[in-house]
Amino acid sequence: MTPEGLLLAALPEHLLLLGILAILVTDLVSSRPRDAFLPALLTLLAAGIAAVWLHGTGHSGTPFPGHFSVDTDAFAAKALLFGLAVPVLFLARDERHESRFAMLLLASLYGAGLLLSADSLLMVFFGLELLSLPLYALVVLGFRRPESAEAALKYLVLGGVGTAVLLMGLSLTLGATGGLTAADFRTALGGEDLLSRGAVVLVVTAFMLKAAIVPFHAWAPDAYEGASVPATAYMATVVKGAVLLALVRLFGEAGAGTDLLAVVVALALLSIVWGNLAAMRQEGFRRLIAYSSIAHAGYLFLALLGPAEARFETVAFYVIVYGLTNLLALACLPRGEDWLRDRLNNLKGLYHRDPRAAILIAVAMLSLAGIPPFPGFVAKFLVFRTVMESGLVAVAVAGLVASYLGIYLYLRVIRYMFMTPAEAHPRTGPTAGFGTAAALITLAAVLLVGVFPGVVLGWL
Amino acid sequence: MSDATALNLLLFLPVIGGALLLLLPERRPELVRGLSMLVLGAQLVLAAGLYFQFEAGVSGLQFETRIPWIAAWGVHYHIGLDGLNLLLVLLTAFLGPLVVAGAFTSITKDVKLFHGMVLFLQFTMLGTFLAQDLFLFYVFWEAMLIPMFLIIGIWGGERRIYATLKFFLYTAFGSILMLAAVVYLAFTVLSQDGTPSFAIADLYLLELAVPVQVLLLTGFALSFAIKVPMVPLHTWLPDAHVEAPTAGSVILAGVLLKMGTYGFLKLGFPLFPEAAQLATPLIMTLAVVSILYGAGLALVQDDIKKIIAYSSVSHLGYVMLGLVSYNLLGVQGAIIQMVSHGLVAGGLFLMVGMIYERCHSRDLGAYGGLAKLLPVYSVFFMLLTLAAIGLPATSGFTGEFLVLLGAFQGAWPLYEQGLVYPLALASAAVLGIVLGALYMLRLARRLLFGGARAPEPEGGALRDLSPREMGILAALIAAILYIGVLPNEFLQKTEQAVIEYQQRVVPERVGEGIR
Repeated sequence: MTPEGLLLAALPEHLLLLGILAILVTDLVSSRPRDAFLPALLTLLAAGIAAVWLHGTGHSGTPFPGHFSVDTDAFAAKALLFGLAVPVLFLARDERHESRFAMLLLASLYGAGLLLSADSLLMVFFGLELLSLPLYALVVLGFRRPESAEAALKYLVLGGVGTAVLLMGLSLTLGATGGLTAADFRTALGGEDLLSRGAVVLVVTAFMLKAAIVPFHAWAPDAYEGASVPATAYMATVVKGAVLLALVRLFGEAGAGTDLLAVVVALALLSIVWGNLAAMRQEGFRRLIAYSSIAHAGYLFLALLGPAEARFETVAFYVIVYGLTNLLALACLPRGEDWLRDRLNNLKGLYHRDPRAAILIAVAMLSLAGIPPFPGFVAKFLVFRTVMESGLVAVAVAGLVASYLGIYLYLRVIRYMFMTPAEAHPRTGPTAGFGTAAALITLAAVLLVGVFPGVVLGWL
Repeated sequence: MSDATALNLLLFLPVIGGALLLLLPERRPELVRGLSMLVLGAQLVLAAGLYFQFEAGVSGLQFETRIPWIAAWGVHYHIGLDGLNLLLVLLTAFLGPLVVAGAFTSITKDVKLFHGMVLFLQFTMLGTFLAQDLFLFYVFWEAMLIPMFLIIGIWGGERRIYATLKFFLYTAFGSILMLAAVVYLAFTVLSQDGTPSFAIADLYLLELAVPVQVLLLTGFALSFAIKVPMVPLHTWLPDAHVEAPTAGSVILAGVLLKMGTYGFLKLGFPLFPEAAQLATPLIMTLAVVSILYGAGLALVQDDIKKIIAYSSVSHLGYVMLGLVSYNLLGVQGAIIQMVSHGLVAGGLFLMVGMIYERCHSRDLGAYGGLAKLLPVYSVFFMLLTLAAIGLPATSGFTGEFLVLLGAFQGAWPLYEQGLVYPLALASAAVLGIVLGALYMLRLARRLLFGGARAPEPEGGALRDLSPREMGILAALIAAILYIGVLPNEFLQKTEQAVIEYQQRVVPERVGEGIR
């Protein structure tokens, strides 16, 4: 590959790296702490535009054979993840994290970029770690609360377990197939021997841990609750999306064998049911989002069962919609002290204090519930259509019925905002400034996806 | 303006109105009400214009628009009028301004949101009737729940939250199974035709094995039967009706319930004809049970709203009976009965709202002799009572008579072949008319006659109807009498579509019976 090719193929990552370095250097030479919002935003936009452009030109290539390759799907995935990170940056601007938040965010996105171009299990490992390590810091960065430290520690320990499981899976793959490329993993997928099966189970388990699938989900509610709102938003949307899209890439053309299929179906359905049921009883907004994201991870894993050519489109579209609606809801949370704004009770009577925020959160909730005309419905339809296309009619019906369980929890939020009188002295104010900007950006994107889903599906 | 443009404008007027509503200040409710009236009034004018231009005896859709929406899936924005939805669109557009006018004094809290939700409802209801693409139909069908959820939950009575959650969760459960069936159909079209399509006309042509049809019809039918509602899936209705504000009850009874019967007529039966024929005895039985059970329950209620709510269960039983008679007159009668019930039940709910606004009680025992206290109110109430009973010259008569005629015409040949059951069911349905007279006259007698009493109104004497209220009711009565006396034009404009419905479901019975 020519030097230009090398430069071009990983252009989004290079731009991210450049941005990180620039922020780092400014931070070092500057005497007082400064806010890195603008350089970080520019970096993100540049990387996103580069990915969109390379996707548009249909660029593909293998700059590091066997480890790192790019194609249109990879660029689309990167573009959508970088796009989702933009509102996160706006949200973080309100939290006064100085430059560290932006730097860690960009570093984590760099990991996502590697992950989505990975051709070998080593690269997958590298990408996942780079994606996760800044996250532990982002969680603890929160508010210097004891809960944040506890959450970060839990996340770190469970993340470590995930890493260990993945590494074990890697070594078993090496033992079973003699290599560590993605193609070797697909060989192991089709293998009937114990070694191959063990390898596949361990690798898939590591992904399930990162995506918070029942029974590997226990870290998510605590981590989401302990983190600040932008960090939660980032974990629930971009990180989850990156993990699922990476798994789609890793599976490639291969399908799951019947045994693995049964396990994935069972755990995905279990996640949908348990996520929805547990979310009903939460009193904190971020815990609610955490359990709801467990249920949504279930839908995403169901989408993996579809025919190979439909998987990427389904998962990518779902990640876009699910990410945008989550971001919209989190961006519209009333401002105030962190523990206060997180309480669900604080949303009571929100319509009378801040009608716009209440309506937008309601839109986000209905979209997450998969009620038309909001885009969540189209995404849900796409997932179950994909599942049915692969002949698993009963699984699709079971998944739909399980998704019904989720409706109540979202209606509960709407009920609080519109139908319940406010508590005596609400101590949170309406959203303003950068939070509003984040809400407007996501709203525009939600409307685009909602009114013209065909355009977005065509682009993917 | 071409006619297709007019139909699109009819559908999107509420959206435009809703956008304008956002610009108005919350503290000027009169502007909000005025704008909503203007938008819905314009919608009614458009609907009436399209109704008169609609040509009878022409097969297929009129004023059609078809634009790709999600091209990769074959989903289109596809709307049009035919004989099946024409009258229902007219009914929806007719009730819209009346609902807003009826809420002038009763809705004083969150006025902007309320009118926004009414407009949203109007948009989704018209969309459901007009949609000629199954995906589009489902989007509108399900979206309808959102504004109704808020209307009952925000402006409803004491147990409004329980009622509205029950309403939403009940209907959403039906919708989920319907969604599964829709997804399956989409996938079947692709495998049979090679191109994806959601056009309802294409779906009619699908060849499906009978067991598959039965499963799919179950998915659709559950959703529709909950909406109708058919006994035993009716338990959400009394709660929703009683707790909803007047406007909510009127829309619920007037239009929303017709979504279920329309669903059977447009989708359920014609999409799965063999399964529909298999299910006919069951549906017929449930229809007659609904007629009698609803009437029986209405007879023993003391809450005025509950009486009318259960009467809806009974009256929609006739619609279902007419639809499964597969007889030209029976099905046409069912369509007329849908419109008639929309007007009559809508009117009755408005009248209950008017008395509730004055006296704050819906308890039948609290009232008596209103004929002396509120003479004008009583005249209108009596007229609506008679229409509900189905007295000749009212729309109720036209609808119920045609349905029963159709049911008997369908049952007689079967009786001659030795099958007694359908005839027995048709005869039992006649009993429903008697019960209907009983419960409505009981309501009218206890409310209007006897010793004069009513709960003390807030702030002074009991006022009779205002000109605004009289205007609303006069419009309803005029429509009821018009259908009762001159149903001919309605019958002509629906005939072709009903014959096509017969051709799809029971081709061997087209042209049977007198016309």
